[in-house]
Formats: sequence, C-alpha cells, structure tokens
Amino acid sequence: MIQYAAIILFVFGLYGLLTQRNIIKMIISLNIMEIGLFIFIISIGFVYDGVAPIISSVSETGLLFVDPLPQALVLTAIVIGVGTTALALAFAKSIHNKYQTFSLDEMEEQL
Amino acid sequence: MSAILLVAIPLLAAFISILAKKFAPYLLIVVGLFNFVILFLLPDGFVIIGGFEQPLGINLLLDTYSRIALLLINGLIVIITFLNLGKYDKYASIILLAMASLNGLVLTNDLFNLFVFLEISGIAAYLITTSNKRPLKTFHYLIIGAVGSSLFLFGVVILYSMFGTLNMVDLIQKIQAVDNYDQLILPFILMFIGLGVETKLLPFNSWVKGVLGKSNTFSGPMIGGVYAAAFGFVLGRYITNVFVFEGNLLLVVTVLLCLGIIIGEAMAYSSSKAREILLFSSVAQASIVAILFVNGIILWAVYYIVAAALSKTVLFLVINKATKDKGSDELNDLQGLFVDNKVVGLAYTLITLSVMGLPLLVGFVVKINFLTELAIADQIWMIIVILVASVVEGIYFVRMLIKLWYKGDNEISVKYNLSFKIVFVVIALAFLVFGSYKAPLTSLDNSIDTVMEVVDNG
Repeated sequence: MIQYAAIILFVFGLYGLLTQRNIIKMIISLNIMEIGLFIFIISIGFVYDGVAPIISSVSETGLLFVDPLPQALVLTAIVIGVGTTALALAFAKSIHNKYQTFSLDEMEEQL
Repeated sequence: MSAILLVAIPLLAAFISILAKKFAPYLLIVVGLFNFVILFLLPDGFVIIGGFEQPLGINLLLDTYSRIALLLINGLIVIITFLNLGKYDKYASIILLAMASLNGLVLTNDLFNLFVFLEISGIAAYLITTSNKRPLKTFHYLIIGAVGSSLFLFGVVILYSMFGTLNMVDLIQKIQAVDNYDQLILPFILMFIGLGVETKLLPFNSWVKGVLGKSNTFSGPMIGGVYAAAFGFVLGRYITNVFVFEGNLLLVVTVLLCLGIIIGEAMAYSSSKAREILLFSSVAQASIVAILFVNGIILWAVYYIVAAALSKTVLFLVINKATKDKGSDELNDLQGLFVDNKVVGLAYTLITLSVMGLPLLVGFVVKINFLTELAIADQIWMIIVILVASVVEGIYFVRMLIKLWYKGDNEISVKYNLSFKIVFVVIALAFLVFGSYKAPLTSLDNSIDTVMEVVDNG
C-alpha cells in the first residue's frame, strides 16, 4: 500500500515539474518527486513484524529482520538529493540576479 | 596498485585543490597524466573493495573495454585542461570531481554505486556548464538530469526488489534465469531513460541545445566530448550485458534510436549556427552508438565513440574559439575563418571528412565495418537510415567547410595558440594514420567487454 503512495507522490512531483513555470516551485516539485522515490526505496526493505537488523549478544535467534540495505541506499540518495537541491537553489539565485524574477514566463518576456 | 586509485586520487586531489587554488590546474594535469600512465600498468580483473567478496560488496571491473574508456576520458581531460590553462582555472576542482566520477562510472560493477557516480558526474557537469554564463539553461539541464537519475534509481530499486542484488554480474546471472520477461520491461525502460538523458538520446536530450549551443572552449569539449564518450561507454555496457531488449520493446527502442539519427541530422542540416550543427550531429552520433550496442556490435561502437569524442573535442575547440573572438557562431559571420588559419583548417577538414566517413580516414574504416556487421545481422533498414544520415551529414559539413574556407565580405581574425594547433594536427594525423593502417583496430574483437565471460564462468 505504501508503495502506491510513494508512486503517487513521485508522479505528483513529476507533474509539478512539467506544469510549474516558477523556478522555486520546480525545485519543490523535484524534492517531492525524490521523497516519493525515497519512500519507495524504504518500502521495499519492509518486512511485516520485522525488527531493526541489529545483532547483539542478547538478540534472540530466529528474529525476523527488515532489509537494512534499502535504508543504507536511501541515506546516500537523500544526501545526493540535498546536494542537487542546494545547487539548484544556487542556480535559482543567479537566475534571479540576472532576470529579477523566478517566473519562466516573465524571463521569456525579457528575452 | 589498484584501479580504485583512478577514483580515489582525483577525489583526494579535488579536496587538496580547494586549499591550493593557485596550483589546482597543474594538480589536475598531474593527476590526469598519473591516471593515464597507471592504466597501462594495472592488471585486468575485479577490484574487491573492503574485503567483501562478490556479490556482497562494491567492486570495480577493469577490462579492455573500460581501459579504452578510461584512457580516452583521462587523456581528453588533460588535453582540454592544458588548452584552457589560465582561462578556466577556478573550475579545476570541479574537473577533478568529474574525473573521479566518470572513472567510477566506467569501472563500477554495482548498480547503486553507478547511480552515485551518475549524480556526482551530473553535479560536476552542471557546474561546468555555468562557465557558459547561461544560468537558466544550466538550471534546465539540472532538472532534466535530476529527473533522469531519479528514474535510473527507480529502475535499480525495482530490480533490487526483484532479485535482491545490486551487483551487475550477479544480477545478469539472475536475469538469465527469469522466464517471465514482461516484468523486466519497466526497470529496463526506467534505467534506459536515466542513462539516455546524459547520453543525449532522443527524446531525453532537450537540455543539449541550451548547454552546447552556448558552450565555450572548456564546456563544449567537456560535455560534447568527454561526457558524451563516458556515458556512451556506460550505456553500451548496460545495453550489451544487462538490458534485455526483445519483441515490442526492441522495436520501440530501435524506432526511437532511428528517429534520433534522422531528427539529429535534419536539425543539423537546417541550422545555420556552427555550434548547433556540431551538437545536433552529436545527438545523431549518440543514437548510432546505441543502435550498434543494441545489435551487439561492441568493438566498432567503441571505436565510433573514441573517434566521435576526439573529433567533437577538436571541432568544438575550433568553433568555440572562433565564436569567442568573433562574437557570433553564425556560419556567415565565421566565413573565411580558415583563410588565415590554414593548419587549423586542414586539421578541421580532415576530422570533418572522417566524421562524414570518407575513405583513408578512420571514420570510413569504422563505418564500413559496422555497416558490414549490420548487414550480416540483416538490419537493412538501419543501414539505410545510417547511409541517408551520412549523406545529409556530408551535405551540411561540406557546406560548412566551404563557408569556413572561402573569404566572405566580413573581416575575421582568430588566432589559435601553438598548443591548439599541435593538438588539432596530432588528432587529425591519428585519424589519417589509423584510416590507412587498420591492423591495430582489427586486432581486437567484441570480447573486449568481459562481463558476459565472467557471467558464463560463474
């Protein structure tokens, strides 16, 4: 079920990217899309009734663990996503310095 | 010595270069040369990282295929940096980052690791294109690139949920055991789109015109030459070994790639701007490369990538330098460029004729061989598309050459440094030599890509 929610979020983000004409809104759409993807990644590691995959001296044998790999992957993906967003915001700032607007329509009028 | 140095040393140098900005370009050249030299010393095979055996840990694969790619990438980066010394020095740290990530892209045998390198190389590419001073175009590139890599990751994650592995060799073994092919179509399409964005395949290449159409002597060769080559090699590796294109999916991919060739050449033909002609020609070349890999023609696809990367580097350098000095890239404004630059003109002409596929030049050898292999594979329609594209390519390149060689009404004065001339002449001579002396080219075969060999041997 959560995977459907993740895909819907991803599609919302993609829709926003295709329809929005404001640079900041486009960056937000990109983030929504990425969050949908991150939730999807986490969801594939989910195991019903599973516990955190930590083995200790007191762990019981026969425990059902969730898959830890997607969690490790999503951490990396989040860091990369933050980097991309920071870069996109830096570009947005330089675009604003040049055109004094975040709106693509207003930029096209100036060109 | 290990192949991991090809990634680790540029990455370390990138951090050091921030502390010593003055010496950063020289550090970049030294690191590039170091990588180039150790590529001749490193043995073929897998590099296990952290002691985790396959398929658990991340590992790198160095074979003839990746070695050719790495020699090309590192060699071209050194050349481009050397030619731009003193002009784009502040980008040295970014180029070191690009070098590390592109080397990693070509070497890695892990799908998630590939995504990470895809993103890092993407970030470096966006920063390289800021040198064009067109922030809006760079922003578009970033958005399309980020969507592409997200789709790639989506495909990778779906494959992981199906097979429980991210190791390429392990994944191929598991894919071979699948009897329901339909469930593989979605992840393959998503990954293909992800790689197609950076490889400039139609219809995922809308960023190209904004980025390469306004490029300079630094960003043009880097994006049009180095990045195009690196992603061509990565796409080739995945098309050949991982993606299984069958039935309707094969038809859709083939039609898309053929459309890419036709539209790319048509756009180049209809353009009157020199940079646009080159970039649309690159779009068509990227589709040809993908078609060759789809048909299992690995060796000649590799040579085609190498020839395209070297030729596009020279062509972009010549045109972008002239554009910078003249202030326009309209062919009419560049008319007579070679009247006072005969050496550059001759090198440019030889390389252009090679791209067109004229005899005695390396482009002809590559084209005739892959067309022969396509004929053996009974792909007559593809041969017709490529031949028609070559004719169109011939028309617009000859038209371009005539403009550049014959003096017009306007005055044009462009001075190329000696270092530029030496690079142009050496590459042009290499095209001439390997066009007449084919033995080194034919000494290899499709087995340069050893992934399937490893898979078959377990």
